[in-house]
Amino acid sequence: MSLFLIVAVPFLGALLPGLMNSAGRKACAGVTFMVTLVAFVGLLSQLPAVLAGEVVQARVEWLPALGLNVNLHLDGLAFFFAALILGIGLLIIAYARSYLARGDNMGEFFTYLLLFQGAMVGIVLSDNILLLLIFWEMTSLASFLLIGYWKHVVEGRQGARMALTVTGMGGLALIGGLLILGQIAGSYDLSVILENREAIQASPLYVPALLLILLGCFTKSAQFPFHFWLPRAMAAPTPVSAYLHSATMVKAGIFMMARLWPVLSGTTEWFVIVTTAGLLTMVIGALIALFKHDLKALLAYSTVSHLGLITMLLGTGTAFGAMAAMFHILNHATFKAALFMSAGIVDHEAKTRDIRLLGGLRKLMPITFVIATIAALSMAGIPFLNGFLSKEQMLEEANRTVLFGAPWLVPVLATVGSLFSAAYCFRFIGHTFFGPVRDDYPAKPHDPGAGLWLPPAILVVLVIVIGVAPFLAEPFVKLVTADVLGAAAEVPKAYFKIWHGLVPALFMSIIAVVGGFLMYLVFAPLLRAWDATPRPDAKPMFDGVIAGAVALARGLIAPIHDGAFTRYAAVMVLAVLGAGYYAFGTGVVGATAREMQPMTPIAVGGWAMVIAATAVLVVMHRYRLFALVMIGIVGLMVSAGFVFFSAPDLAMTQFTVEVVTIILLLLALNFLPKRTPDESGALRRIRDAGIGIIGGIAATALSFHYLMRDAIEGPISAFHVANSYKGGGGTNMVNVILVDFRGFDTYGEIIVLGIAALLIYALTETLLSGPVRARLLNRKPDQAFAGDAHPMMMVVLTRVIMPIVLMVGFYIFLRGHNEPGGGFIAGLIVSIAVVMQYMASGFGWTSARLRYPYHGVIGAGVLVAGLTGIGSWFVGKPFLTSDFTYVRIPPFQEFELATAALFDVGVFLAVVGAVMLSLESFSRLARRVDMVESEHPMEINPARDDPAEDPLNELRKARTETA
Amino acid sequence: MIGSDLSIILPEIVLSLYAMAALIGIVYTGKDAMASLATWATTAVLVAMAVFIALQPAGTDVAFGGMFIDDGFARFAKVMILLASAAVLAMSHDYMLRRDLLRFEYPILVTLAVVGMMLMVSAGDLMALYVGLELQSLSLYVVASLRRDSVKSTEAGLKYFVLGALSSGLLLYGASLTYGYAGTTLFSGIIESAQGDLSLGLLFGLVFISAGLAFKVSAAPFHMWTPDVYEGSPAPVTAFFATAPKVAAMALFARVVHDAFGGAVGDWQQVIAALSVVSMFVGAIAAIGQTNIKRLMAYSSIAHMGFALMGLAAGTQLGVQAMLIYMAIYVTMNIAAFAFILGMTRDDALVTDISALNMYSKREPLKAVALLVIMFSLAGVPPLVGFIGKLYVLQAAYDAGLAWLAVAGVIASVIGAFYYLRIVYYMYFGEEVDELDNTSSPVLSGFLLAGAAAMVFGIVNLFGIEGIAQAAAATLVN
Repeated sequence: MSLFLIVAVPFLGALLPGLMNSAGRKACAGVTFMVTLVAFVGLLSQLPAVLAGEVVQARVEWLPALGLNVNLHLDGLAFFFAALILGIGLLIIAYARSYLARGDNMGEFFTYLLLFQGAMVGIVLSDNILLLLIFWEMTSLASFLLIGYWKHVVEGRQGARMALTVTGMGGLALIGGLLILGQIAGSYDLSVILENREAIQASPLYVPALLLILLGCFTKSAQFPFHFWLPRAMAAPTPVSAYLHSATMVKAGIFMMARLWPVLSGTTEWFVIVTTAGLLTMVIGALIALFKHDLKALLAYSTVSHLGLITMLLGTGTAFGAMAAMFHILNHATFKAALFMSAGIVDHEAKTRDIRLLGGLRKLMPITFVIATIAALSMAGIPFLNGFLSKEQMLEEANRTVLFGAPWLVPVLATVGSLFSAAYCFRFIGHTFFGPVRDDYPAKPHDPGAGLWLPPAILVVLVIVIGVAPFLAEPFVKLVTADVLGAAAEVPKAYFKIWHGLVPALFMSIIAVVGGFLMYLVFAPLLRAWDATPRPDAKPMFDGVIAGAVALARGLIAPIHDGAFTRYAAVMVLAVLGAGYYAFGTGVVGATAREMQPMTPIAVGGWAMVIAATAVLVVMHRYRLFALVMIGIVGLMVSAGFVFFSAPDLAMTQFTVEVVTIILLLLALNFLPKRTPDESGALRRIRDAGIGIIGGIAATALSFHYLMRDAIEGPISAFHVANSYKGGGGTNMVNVILVDFRGFDTYGEIIVLGIAALLIYALTETLLSGPVRARLLNRKPDQAFAGDAHPMMMVVLTRVIMPIVLMVGFYIFLRGHNEPGGGFIAGLIVSIAVVMQYMASGFGWTSARLRYPYHGVIGAGVLVAGLTGIGSWFVGKPFLTSDFTYVRIPPFQEFELATAALFDVGVFLAVVGAVMLSLESFSRLARRVDMVESEHPMEINPARDDPAEDPLNELRKARTETA
Repeated sequence: MIGSDLSIILPEIVLSLYAMAALIGIVYTGKDAMASLATWATTAVLVAMAVFIALQPAGTDVAFGGMFIDDGFARFAKVMILLASAAVLAMSHDYMLRRDLLRFEYPILVTLAVVGMMLMVSAGDLMALYVGLELQSLSLYVVASLRRDSVKSTEAGLKYFVLGALSSGLLLYGASLTYGYAGTTLFSGIIESAQGDLSLGLLFGLVFISAGLAFKVSAAPFHMWTPDVYEGSPAPVTAFFATAPKVAAMALFARVVHDAFGGAVGDWQQVIAALSVVSMFVGAIAAIGQTNIKRLMAYSSIAHMGFALMGLAAGTQLGVQAMLIYMAIYVTMNIAAFAFILGMTRDDALVTDISALNMYSKREPLKAVALLVIMFSLAGVPPLVGFIGKLYVLQAAYDAGLAWLAVAGVIASVIGAFYYLRIVYYMYFGEEVDELDNTSSPVLSGFLLAGAAAMVFGIVNLFGIEGIAQAAAATLVN
């Protein structure tokens, strides 16, 4: 059968149990069994080719751009693991059929089981590491679903969490490691990677890759210090424990190490890490197993211990070690699965797995007793059972291994581990089956039906056959070993024999078994000592690590993400400064192209004023009015700077804009307290000052840099110098740009300006009709009202000045095309004049005298500008094409008529309308409904006898009364 | 001339006209009573535009003298943006209606934001870039504070606005420096000046533009707004933030660095790689301490943006292809995740604490499995599609000589897996808590299940986007 089918059959078959669920439990289990059988038979059909030393391959492209292809291969190693997975799978399915209770959902269980099986087969058959990773994580996922299958078992939850966290993160680490490996080798195909031993071991990325891969393998195979999750995953139904946690899934890590053995092993890093971890796992696992009361927990720790043994053998990096490892995998899978199933039978029949509640089952469950005893004795390393053979080999290998320069270290620890191992095996047999028959079992145990005992019995037969006739297994194990070693080493010549002569390994073995039995005999005092010894427990440690990680993450992140706005801004600014520094360090700095200008007293004075005003502003910024004055100074000095640098247009615009802005801010200040409250501590101010100073220095340096150099060849102003008069008919370039060259931009801008003003108006309307208005009215200004709402001096002055200002505006407008000025500036000037009227003479008085609504003024402006643009269509030109001509109307001198001037009218109107509308809207917020509009703009009118009613009098009265 | 230009930007025109017509139409008729209709109509229009764009023949069209580029890359991103926005709108409807949040301006603002995003991905000029970006941002600022009576929502909008303005300022500063030193705002002109070793002016321009764009993709250290805005905004708006705008900003980022600064890969590679690695780690580490699922998704998206930037940092065609694929996968996963989050209610109030998911699998096994798939996919666990996305960017980075970045990415993904797995753990093994409402909104369940199914079955051939993304990347990098 094609390799594709072998992998695909379990996946496709996974649909069947769910469908067969309604057909009954038997059908469900039956169909699962058949599916697995088909895959198994398919695998066996490849056996001749494998035995002949061929590597069966099947390749098809999937996502070739990524290097992800469905490349499968089957060599001895893959066949060995696949046969274990499918063969033991068959037995487990048969067993599970009898084991699961009537209430359990068989369909769900077998679906997960088949998914898991398919993923496992996929892992071992994959030739492409990406494919392998996919299957690897699928086993995690499926095992997670299987562990969680019994949702009612509360104790399982914590275990599942650990299993999920540890194997999940390990899996991701493995991904990283394998990807690095693939990149070094230049291919994601295992067959190619395995040929690149030198390249990989010479690569600087070898150590990170090795660490990541081992992290994945150790977590999956429960190696120290990740051994703690496996025993806690035992809340799953026993078939799951037997299948996943002894025979298959936990072997995936071992498989990975074996598979990559040719390229990874042989280095000091590999030897030290893998051997140490294996050795420690072996001893610690065995020690803990000895004192576990739960049968499954005991077996779980013993599994951990045996996985450690295998890991250690792989870690030695010798061919003999690899062979022993393979042999022990085979043996361990047989006896451990049988033991798990036996434990499951005991649990199923006696309704308890607590070894303290058991004993004497030898008489009640003779069949189970025989099966469990043989399997356990094999695990203990008793001759004529398969466990003895591989343990001998292990001890022999241990005897040759020198770790950390101490030749005694490994043999002693290996013997100690074996000793504990033998002890817990004896305890398992003794405390469960021997002793007197009790009368307080939770349920009266008796041997189950064949459905439960036959699967482990089959395995036990294998235990004995291999144990008695090891030469039967020898060729197969050597075949597998050859595939593990690859080209890296020769398969050792050693024969598999029961009697090796009086070698050290035999003595170590005897010490272990005898010592183990002695320990069993003195178990009661040992247990008391064990219980009295304080020892670390995995759960609080794991929880502690998790809590620590969470606390650490919070500790790292919370100070930055505390919601404080200033902190966010500070981080951003610092990041930008850092980025700027990086740019400054790497960019090409051209030579300076300009001379420094002489320091004239005026320039220095202006500069000093800007600096001084800014500094004072920073220090005094809490006093808002004062700050506003300082801002005004800065703005004026900037405007003066424009004059200084011969940019009168900019200067005029800046001047007028400054005035309007200050008026706007004054209006806003009206609503705000006089002083900004202190909210920042000294530390924060120092931090902010630091950031501010660095930012200021950076900006200064940057400006200086740019001012001293030319940006590009030939500044763009040359074009305007050449074309301004010729094409636009004006000598004021700025104005020509605004209304002609970039007239379309200006057109857009005035529309935006108008919309903005309308929005401000709309917002004010909404505010005034909502609850905000009441709040505004009830607020208590922290300054007393001025005594004189409309001071006479100001009223007189503004009225006198009004026509003059309008005239100036008109003049500025007209000269715009050739001299500094233009519609925009004129608009601002006129606006200021009108605003002054509002301020001086009062709102009611002024608005009564204004005939045109500002909305209309804005609209008219946009319309005029638009119509000017459209006008050019009539002469067949694109929108806003300008034209100009010179006319002479006597008695005036010749003057210019340009369409641009008409456009400028539009700009002018729009600016006036927008500025006025927004200022008016703001000021409306400050007005009170209860405030009587003064009929008389001036409170003191020399021409009038009756004193005007002061609108604020009422208010003042009310306030003094409350005070 | 103008006619052909207009036909190139037809989808944008149609959407703009639709938005304006809908706005005026609704204002003068039913106002909020029409919101429901407007939402569904907008969804339909967005989907129709996506189909229209997807069916355009291959080829590159340039409109308005190079300011607007309609190429495979732009179309790929636009289809993603349109579909993601349509999906989010469809998911929002019930949620917002039930909470009396469904204002008629919501779908219209989303439409305008989408127009802005489409302009962004098609920008061939710094001006077009900025106009598109601001149209998008302004719409988003408003949507963020859609729940006007909530302090948190208002705060979110305000924070987003102020920091956004700061980043826009940076971007503008960079753009004007670039203009000053390249003499043009057209990308096609800038790339001629920006060859080899960049002058300080162009380099500063590049760095500041990158900083501005990094803010928009919420890459660390410009990510600070993300958790607060995600938390404060109404959940459907959060879903929107997490999807379409990210695609647009990322595509724009790709366009700027390749179209305008493609001649100086080395200069921006380091910047983007730095952004990438910081984002991945900040996202991964910060999310560990989160229990609020909206904040958690914020950090998750920061980390994911780090991965997408890793593809961009490669500076190769494969890198852009990887980035596009990554974004497509990211958007799908996020839509599905938010489809779930929108249904996380108890007594009709949104529950954002992840402990509310305890033992969720017992009550809603199907949805729990779907969320499990999504979470595993977000964590990048094989065989789910999220893994393929990560694999692509890792490979692109490695091939471009950024092995350290790839290794850092792997480590960050291991750290980041923790919090996705924690959600799964809660669902399957947590302690019993008060049940969530049994909302069976067909739209939400549909998106959740479809997203999960896509993560599982997409592994077959990624639904063919691989080839399209490759072609799209080829039009950008040449």
